[in-house]
Amino acid sequence: MEDYSFCESWLAVLCAILGTMIWRVAGVMLASRIPAEGPIMGWVNTMAYALVAAVLLLIFVHPIGVLATTKLDQRVIGLAAGLLMMFITRRLILSLFCGVSAFALAIELI
Amino acid sequence: MSKSIYFQLDARQTRLNAMIDALRAPCYALCITMAGFSAIARESGFDFMMALITSLGVWGMPGQVAFASLYSAGATLVIIFVAVSLANMRMLLMVISAADMMHLKSHHLPVWKRVFWMQFLAITAWAHLGFAQQKYPSHLLLPYYQGFSLTIFTFGILGTAMGFFLTDLLPLELLRMVIFVTPIYILLLIVNARHKANRLAVVFGGTLSPLLYPFVGEWAILLAGFIGGTLASLYGRFIAKWHREPVA
Repeated sequence: MEDYSFCESWLAVLCAILGTMIWRVAGVMLASRIPAEGPIMGWVNTMAYALVAAVLLLIFVHPIGVLATTKLDQRVIGLAAGLLMMFITRRLILSLFCGVSAFALAIELI
Repeated sequence: MSKSIYFQLDARQTRLNAMIDALRAPCYALCITMAGFSAIARESGFDFMMALITSLGVWGMPGQVAFASLYSAGATLVIIFVAVSLANMRMLLMVISAADMMHLKSHHLPVWKRVFWMQFLAITAWAHLGFAQQKYPSHLLLPYYQGFSLTIFTFGILGTAMGFFLTDLLPLELLRMVIFVTPIYILLLIVNARHKANRLAVVFGGTLSPLLYPFVGEWAILLAGFIGGTLASLYGRFIAKWHREPVA
């Protein structure tokens, strides 16, 4: 693990901002020209979903910092409870509450 | 019937309605989510201004989370740029779809103004725009979006500012829960994706990434995204023929 200098830190922030802004600008440019549906768009979309899921699951399985002080079982229980509630009720806030509560309970009991 | 009420509104009233919709629930969830990001950012070595500017400038959770975890791992600037772009790639589709819903072209805004308003677009605002589309006439969707997105943006930035100091204020037991909110919230949103191919992509990407991690490290994210997304897309297109599914 290496440390960033002051300038490098802010360059990293700039990279993150530019990395997102390019899509917003490109989206505005393309919006009036192409339809949102089609094979390439579908592929880009599935890749984005897979990528976001990949980022998140890595946080669940190999967390850093505070989450790393919990056990994998506890995080999996919280995740499973949230997902289960989502599949049953389709209510986001309720499922979120359920998942986080299950996670809290798992920490207490396991 | 009740639909006519919405047709009689002017832009100002619509913005106000949108604000109230945002204040009902989504803005608090976003506030906590952003506080979660801020706490992760702080752990990853961000200072307060960096966390705040990242939220203001990026305003896309998956990219922000990817940025924070890559930053803590000491990744190179190129990898940060590529990973954040890929994690927030869905912005492209959301911006195109949102512009289409709002009939942005008909408002004759200059490009910089269109980009300015799209800066506030994130998954919550986009999803709610689709919801509002069923009630409001299309010419009022831009004011609706403005009222909604600015409200949740404000709460998100407030959350970022507060979350940075939560590590001092909250005991570890509570803090763990706050940090757990962020990933589970986004995951719950994406598993609920409208198209089956996208839900399948979530399963593939989510399964591949921890499996690949021991072999390729941080590249597991990009690889899982590419392989998982491609497989889901091919499966949906050639085996299950989901690409013909009607858009409800």
